[in-house]
Amino acid sequence: MEDIAKEILTRASQGDMQAFEDVYKASSSFVYNVALRVVNNREDALEVSQEVFMIIYNKLKGFRFESSFKTWAYRITANTAINYAKRYSRTKTVPFEESFGEGAVFNEAQEHIDQEHKEKLVESLLNELNPEQRACVVLRDIQGLSYEEIAQALNININTVRSRLKRSREKLLSVRRKVDYEKV
Amino acid sequence: MKKCEQFRDLILSDHMDGELDRIAAERVQRHLLDCGECRAFLKEVASISLKQAPRQAVPPELWATIKENILQDKQKVNPLESILEKLQGLIIYPRLVPVFASLILMLVAGSVSLNTIQIQQTKDKEQGEYLVSLLGATSSSTQADNNDLGTPIEHYFL
Repeated sequence: MEDIAKEILTRASQGDMQAFEDVYKASSSFVYNVALRVVNNREDALEVSQEVFMIIYNKLKGFRFESSFKTWAYRITANTAINYAKRYSRTKTVPFEESFGEGAVFNEAQEHIDQEHKEKLVESLLNELNPEQRACVVLRDIQGLSYEEIAQALNININTVRSRLKRSREKLLSVRRKVDYEKV
Repeated sequence: MKKCEQFRDLILSDHMDGELDRIAAERVQRHLLDCGECRAFLKEVASISLKQAPRQAVPPELWATIKENILQDKQKVNPLESILEKLQGLIIYPRLVPVFASLILMLVAGSVSLNTIQIQQTKDKEQGEYLVSLLGATSSSTQADNNDLGTPIEHYFL
């Protein structure tokens, strides 16, 4: 997420819509992409993103710059997306084994697979994880946050971040191995 | 091997994510040079990484919807809430609010206790005057050889 000047945040907190649009522009890609990967479909990601920005707009008045805006926005986004995924668990993606079991390509040619195929692969892999695991993997692998930043965003300790990532990857490996085994 | 298990635990988390300190990272690297199975494991773990996941463009309609929701919310705002918000806006240093509240409480408590002392003093004064008047009455009644102090209980017993 891009850094936002304190002056812009102050004006946005006073209800200045132009300043809030600047806040939106700097953070919308992070918010939408995290939401998309945690809820794992476009319509729900749009709803979550709207909810996140309404929370940011309404609570910005009380934001006192004691923590960084980024950490605060990470936390709102992750919590809203996880809660949404738990409440409305309507997974529309096809399980990994169905998508990539028969005739799936896992070799060097994978580097050249088209965007749509890559997207389908990511959706199917994330589909194998629960919302908390998905949030951890997304914040780490896709958004590149450090363990410390993930711990702050999810309000958990660093060892929990570590163990969630480890379990998520073990799960993804087992699914992947199962598909490979069925292909043989 | 137990040693490999420990390294694989690190490969699944800190090593993959670049969170190891220099010494630990070097230890893992040395082990990977010696152990073909762990090297294969690392390759397998790297293949399920989502680091290359495509970043999706934000749908353009998102900002329009958010802006509309904010404007609708502004219209819905209760007048009492807006007054409260304005009052909140007047407080420049919210951290000092508890200090001001304590000062006001202390002032109120001080004025109440001052009033109580004044009332007590007035009561004492009135009681003194009453006793003096009673004594005056008693001395006059003594003169008249009358033991009645003028209270109902006196009437009952005497």
